[in-house]
Amino acid sequence: MLLHAVFARATANFFGNTGPTGQRAMAAMAEKYGARVSDGLAPEVAAASVAQGSAVADHILAWSQGDGGAVVENMGFPLAFTPDTRPGHWKPTSTIAQQQAPLLPGWGSNRPFAMPAADACGLPPPPAYSEEKGSQFYAEAFETYEAVRNLTPEQTAIARFWSDDPMLSTTPPGHWMQIALALLEDEDAPAARRAEVMARLGITVADAFIACWQAKYEYDLIRPVTYIKKVIDKNWEPLLITPPFPEYPSGHSTQSGAAATVLTAIWGPDFAFADGSHEDDGLPERAFPSFWAAADEAGISRLYGGIHFRAAIEQGLEQGRCVGAYAVALKMGAQA
Amino acid sequence: MRAVAVVAFLAGPAVAADMPPVPSFTEETASAGIDSTYTGEWEYMVGGGAAAFDCSGDGFPDLFLAAGEGKSGLWRNASARGGALRFEKVESGLELDHVTGAYPVDIDSDGIMDLVVLRVGENLVMKGEGQCRFTPANTAWGFDGGDAWSTAFAATWEKGDAWPTLAVGNYIDRTQDAFPWGSCTPNWLHRPNAEDNGFAPPVALKPSYCALSMLFTDWNLSGTPSLRVSNDREYYKGGQEQMWKVLPGQPPALYTKVEGWKYLRIWGMGIASADVTGDGYPDYFLTSMADNKLQTLAPPLKEGKPVPGFADVAFARGVTAHRPYAGGDVRPSTAWHAQFEDVNNDGLADLFVAKGNVSNMPDFAANDPNNLLLQDAEGKFHEVGDKAGVASMAVSRGGALTDFNLDGLVDLVVVNRHSPAQIWRNTTTGAGHWLELKPSQAGANPDAVGGWIEVRTGDRVQRRELTVGGGHASGMTGWWHAGLGAADSADVRVIWPDGQAGDWQPVAADGFYRLERSKAAQDWTP
Repeated sequence: MLLHAVFARATANFFGNTGPTGQRAMAAMAEKYGARVSDGLAPEVAAASVAQGSAVADHILAWSQGDGGAVVENMGFPLAFTPDTRPGHWKPTSTIAQQQAPLLPGWGSNRPFAMPAADACGLPPPPAYSEEKGSQFYAEAFETYEAVRNLTPEQTAIARFWSDDPMLSTTPPGHWMQIALALLEDEDAPAARRAEVMARLGITVADAFIACWQAKYEYDLIRPVTYIKKVIDKNWEPLLITPPFPEYPSGHSTQSGAAATVLTAIWGPDFAFADGSHEDDGLPERAFPSFWAAADEAGISRLYGGIHFRAAIEQGLEQGRCVGAYAVALKMGAQA
Repeated sequence: MRAVAVVAFLAGPAVAADMPPVPSFTEETASAGIDSTYTGEWEYMVGGGAAAFDCSGDGFPDLFLAAGEGKSGLWRNASARGGALRFEKVESGLELDHVTGAYPVDIDSDGIMDLVVLRVGENLVMKGEGQCRFTPANTAWGFDGGDAWSTAFAATWEKGDAWPTLAVGNYIDRTQDAFPWGSCTPNWLHRPNAEDNGFAPPVALKPSYCALSMLFTDWNLSGTPSLRVSNDREYYKGGQEQMWKVLPGQPPALYTKVEGWKYLRIWGMGIASADVTGDGYPDYFLTSMADNKLQTLAPPLKEGKPVPGFADVAFARGVTAHRPYAGGDVRPSTAWHAQFEDVNNDGLADLFVAKGNVSNMPDFAANDPNNLLLQDAEGKFHEVGDKAGVASMAVSRGGALTDFNLDGLVDLVVVNRHSPAQIWRNTTTGAGHWLELKPSQAGANPDAVGGWIEVRTGDRVQRRELTVGGGHASGMTGWWHAGLGAADSADVRVIWPDGQAGDWQPVAADGFYRLERSKAAQDWTP
């Protein structure tokens, strides 16, 4: 009952801005599960449990209000933004009016959970911007260009599988949470283990976004679609929708590196699993020999999709490894 | 005097060269005699339609308004030509509850308009009996009204059929209160029965993705319209926007990526169509939350024929309408009904968009004014909703733009959720010349649904597809309006639904003409 009270409070907080259907669903779920967990409980025990659960939730939520990310307005897009017009800097890539400004440019200033600071997992700079054919930057852009032009069916399937578009899917962190939830369900894990796994994972994906966004706006790098159309082939189109924010590092790579680090610490380095997160969307299950194999595939999927250069993927995965280690080091449960 | 005023208006130095003349609308809600509110909670967060059509036979468009949980009703148009808007509520048989929207279409081709009423529950086909009386015809016509949350509609006459094909779009499974996501219920295609004197049992259009607007439209000028469906991404899993091939005698089939269909997921809520680009093909405005879309056929053609892929040109043409432009609320907008009409008679289709929060969603604008976007000569649109007087902050849903007082200027009615419907008279002075045209043909499909009207002035031809469907839960039929700008005459013709082109006929501007098949255009006076 205590846990139920926590979840009811937290759900209402996190999804409070949802529409009438979500409000109705949250009320129906709270009522349905509340009835189930209170069945057979003495009324005074139920009431005390709800009170304590609500107090715990309120305490944590109050703490969260000061982390810098409690309020997101205009779907995360600043109402006004002036792009850096120098060569190599990010420029809007979409014809959506709202996305003429990049998503959440201040997210890298948020208070992290386990990392000591947003730049605790800093990155080397990306290859120096250049439009010269012999340059490393051109070579990486050409690699992305050629990859998209010559995609195999398997590479296309990989790009689609890890696309995880915001507002059209559970998103990259949500994808990893789906993986963890499925594994916990498979082993019929007790509540304490579920709580620990989801806490470590939740903490690390939150930190991963902070670290990644700090770096994205530090380097403010141009997206492949902008560069390739200007320098290589004006008719080229990426496979995936280019996300509306700077390129370096790859967010999905940082996310996946962090998640793989945490899940490897929990289930081991050679834990094979199958991921059916997108079966509802008609994308078949994919099997992986380890969490890092999945993370590597998530990373390279962004090159196949034409939305990242290789450096952003490789450095993003390494950044994620660094971020994940902080969540792994947290003392929880019996360790605490 | 009128001609002089027109020239002065169109060439006046007070208006910037690229800014179209701004029309003037006067709200006459209080005096027009209309009193209808779209009510109800969750099951009525969408819908809220209007149907504008002549049920009395006097040529003036009458008005049916959906009232959700309340009683919907019919108002007979009692306006004088060119005068203030005035309506009288009449007992019609349309005093129905649980109504989300309605579309007029002469189903039995008897020359009297019928009405398809979409509902939360059983949909109804209401047979027009004349003098604005209607009787339920589900049983007589074999129409299975089902039991769903119906939110979209379109109709066409398939080649060779005397009876129309009706498409009904359905929304969420309303029994799934705790987790309705992924519960989109099937849309239905009601085709004629074997005897072609009623409807066969409906065919489920699977997959269905919570349709909020549908339109039969001949997107590639093949002579056979396809069914565009705009879907609400909030609730589907694995869904996207859709277009169905509906070929006579064959099961409906979706256009695929291999054929050129481009994957698009939006909170699709309404479809408006017009040939905005002037290439002869219809373009489509799709309403959503935040950015809206204006789709035009994407090149290249394949073997000289268009492929079913569309490019979004909303940003380039200034019709994203993603955020309120007045009132100070800068959160993203929520758009519903959309309709192209030439509101200033300059010869260019303008765009109206109804706006309103779904239901107190704090991430989206609460003060969300309706849009009126004027098209200029270069195909760009300019927001003038506030200047024109239609920037209502009510929570709007459906609506209709039509000439209620038959003065050649397009008026506006908008249905609001939890507040009264509003009506505006277009009181623009010195607007351009105009025509209002009504094609008709003997036998089935008397209103030539699926045909085209063409209006030629000089070397420019305006084309208008005659459709039933689109918008948001709102339909209209009757006089089809065209602005002519400074031209005081035009040539007009009809491309009939069977593809036969009528002869070009010269007509004088500022008049009403019946375009009966194989006959000369007939001047009509209210």
